[in-house]
Amino acid sequence: MAKSSSSSNAYLLVPITLIAVLLSTAVIRGPSLVTPAGIGSAIIVAAPLILATYALMVLAVTGRGTVDLAVGPLLAFINVVVVKLSTAGYLTSPIATFIVAIGLGVLYQLLFALIIIFVRVQPIIVALSGFLALTGINLVILPRPGGSAPAFMMDWGSGTGIFSPVLLILVLATAGWYLFTTTTFYSNLKMMGYDERAAWTSGVKIDIVRIGAHIIAGVYVALGALCYTALISSGDPTQGQNMTLTAVTALVLGGVALSGGRGGATGALMGAVSLWLIGYVLSTFNFGAIQAFMTQMVYGLILVLSLLLTLLVPVISRYVNFISPWSAFLVLALVVVGIMLHVATHGTYSGGEHHLVVEALADRYFLFPPTGSGTGESFALTTTQGLALLVGLAAIAFVAAARLMNADAGSRRMTLFLYVFVAVLVAALFAAAVIQPEFRLFGGGA
Amino acid sequence: MSEPSVDRSRFALLPIPKSVALVWLNIVLSLVLAAIGLGVGFAQDRLAAQEVILFTLLLAAVGFVLLNYVAVVFEARGAVGAGEQTEAESGRIRGLWQSNRIMIVAMAGLMILYLLITAGVPEFRSIKNLIAFLVLELILLFAFKVSGYFADGRSAFIGLTVLFALIVISTFSIEGFLSASNIRAILLFAAFLGIASVGQTMVALLGGLDLSIPFVIGSSNIAMLFLVTVGVPSYVAFGFILVLGGIVGLLNGIMSFRLQGQALILTLGTGFAVAGFTQIMTSIGSQYAGNVFGTVPHWLANLAAMNGRFFGLPFPPTIIIWIVIAIVIIVGLKTTAWGRNLYALGGNRRAAALTGISEFKYWVACYVLSGVFAALTGCLLLGWSGGAFIGVGDPYLFTTLAAVVIGGTSLLGGNGGYGFTVIGVLVLQVLTSFLLGIGLQYEWQQFIFGLLILPMVALYGRSPHIRSTV
Repeated sequence: MAKSSSSSNAYLLVPITLIAVLLSTAVIRGPSLVTPAGIGSAIIVAAPLILATYALMVLAVTGRGTVDLAVGPLLAFINVVVVKLSTAGYLTSPIATFIVAIGLGVLYQLLFALIIIFVRVQPIIVALSGFLALTGINLVILPRPGGSAPAFMMDWGSGTGIFSPVLLILVLATAGWYLFTTTTFYSNLKMMGYDERAAWTSGVKIDIVRIGAHIIAGVYVALGALCYTALISSGDPTQGQNMTLTAVTALVLGGVALSGGRGGATGALMGAVSLWLIGYVLSTFNFGAIQAFMTQMVYGLILVLSLLLTLLVPVISRYVNFISPWSAFLVLALVVVGIMLHVATHGTYSGGEHHLVVEALADRYFLFPPTGSGTGESFALTTTQGLALLVGLAAIAFVAAARLMNADAGSRRMTLFLYVFVAVLVAALFAAAVIQPEFRLFGGGA
Repeated sequence: MSEPSVDRSRFALLPIPKSVALVWLNIVLSLVLAAIGLGVGFAQDRLAAQEVILFTLLLAAVGFVLLNYVAVVFEARGAVGAGEQTEAESGRIRGLWQSNRIMIVAMAGLMILYLLITAGVPEFRSIKNLIAFLVLELILLFAFKVSGYFADGRSAFIGLTVLFALIVISTFSIEGFLSASNIRAILLFAAFLGIASVGQTMVALLGGLDLSIPFVIGSSNIAMLFLVTVGVPSYVAFGFILVLGGIVGLLNGIMSFRLQGQALILTLGTGFAVAGFTQIMTSIGSQYAGNVFGTVPHWLANLAAMNGRFFGLPFPPTIIIWIVIAIVIIVGLKTTAWGRNLYALGGNRRAAALTGISEFKYWVACYVLSGVFAALTGCLLLGWSGGAFIGVGDPYLFTTLAAVVIGGTSLLGGNGGYGFTVIGVLVLQVLTSFLLGIGLQYEWQQFIFGLLILPMVALYGRSPHIRSTV
């Protein structure tokens, strides 16, 4: 058990090292990253990419080479539809917005799964078909970037503080995945991805498992689309292709096997974060007019190199199996936190002024610049934000407890806990919506 | 299964059916076809009479060969199936329903849809739409019933049927669809797409994919003009660009050999890197980052521009280049040892490797070819547009793949060929022309392409149920 887990974790060494190196560089070159505003905007900018990578990760685990190239266009599709509906005045309440977005994502992924199962076409062809169709229809719905996001989202994307609804969504999505890994359904999913025939012959209902995985992916894409809508506060039909390419790169970088059966939220998260850091570090160098080309080239090179590295990982891990990825993570994290502390407090003692590189963020490759630049007072929570934070912390505590119990009881089923957890979440959502005036579910701070 | 003599006549270059009546029927049919062509040609009244006669002769000859091929296939199938006519009389209607239910349901569905629209929308009641409806029903009939006779060329047959139906529908619904300039435009764009998909087809035959094609196209497009502007002689620059394309393909092939399942992603990464690198290189010392300005050499412009001339004939030589490339590759894949080995490798990697075929060499060679042809397309597109633009390759990101898939080359390898891709390319271009003609913009075209791929693949490219693989 321990042996197998360490061998699959060995793939995490690459993103862990990469994140450590990139984060130190980023902090040294752009010290504004370690202010609350910097971290807040970082979370908001990286959230859509992270969620899209989660969606790709779930699908990649199902096997048959399912790389959903349409994830970017689907994200843009949900973004465009939500913006169109809200501009027309149909979408005002957060609950309706969430229902529409998640419904669209789930519906598309359900269709995807049904086509794979019943028409029996290779998933890559379905994804290609979806890519073309969605890219086309996005431009039909919204010919050029514009429109306005639902009003309650307006202050989500300001990025002035660390605690925002976007962070809550991210935490919930990640916690949801870890909770999911404790279920039997997840082990069936992994088994199907690793060897579909073996899973079928041992009685796993592979059709149901595939549909379930696609539905989860649909939810993740929808959440990503909502974060994206909050980030740019409008609709943009053109960013789908870039989002796909970046998310696929993040997926590979995070050590998820495109052939299926291996992957997890940790790797996907690290891949997405390191990819975002690459963009950040590049934006702190001033390449002038060729900035975009430089970013493009570096993304391509990183993608190729990380693919080649996955070939080397089994060889390396045979010789350096005494390095646990988690201890490496701990050591490197301490080093990086040290650098961050030094940089963050440097100005306090030396009195010298440091560069504020917030403007360079605007040159970032594929996302809109965050609008916020303020500092201080970001730790002042409104009641809603406090509630959101509490729920997030409770979710983390619950997942930790569930993991511990699961480790304790071996192959204990967690399905009942999952249902209870989801029920509590939904109830809390409704309660918050009822208590809050004007249907402002999140971030009511005026 | 069937006798060797039947097989030989099926694959001969000039198939002649055994029955004399069929030969005469084919002669009459091709003459009718030629007469229609002659009439259409003279109706243009902008073409020289000699050209009309030349093309009519060509049409008659090609039509005759194709019809003979069809007849031979039917004869072979008839000989095989003759022994199986002893099924019981009882339950024939049920059997008929059992074997045809998908087709019947589809045809009935289409009919109901047509009747509903006709009843609801008064403007829809026109003779054009009736013809379009009948043609669609015929396609369904052909696709389900007749295509069963073509065991190995089923997808090609479906593709040809769709192509023919599209041409008929477009001719009826669009003014000037069969005009010389429109046909020339369709063929020219088909030539660009066709040359770009050569590599994709070869790679797909081995079970790989190459997504770096659009980036190589865009990069060679700007790099070519950059080199010419810098002062390199244009022929040297042209050759140099082709070599560079080959080098990109070489890198793709070498790096993706051990990562065959992820060739798609890897080539995407290479493409990104190449596009970024080329743009950086061409922007050094220029204040217009990413844009290259200059004059395209005259011979290149003539090669690909819409008003180019081929030894005095009024069509650009790119079309001829494409036809020559297509013939060389189709015949080469069928007849040379290299081509046969490629199919063997795609069909069963291990078996082919055990017979002494080097997997690595063929894999890399296919990617090199892909890079070279992508670079060639980029240069030709420079001649067509007269200005360099990195995004010129973007439409080819998925259309090369779509052409390969619609034509019927399996992405799993070992099945298909460039002839199929040619059909796919023509279907895509005629469809584009049709959609443009009825006033749909680029985004609608993309949407329809996306929806078109699935049913086309579902007709012939379905994987087996897991029950039958255990």
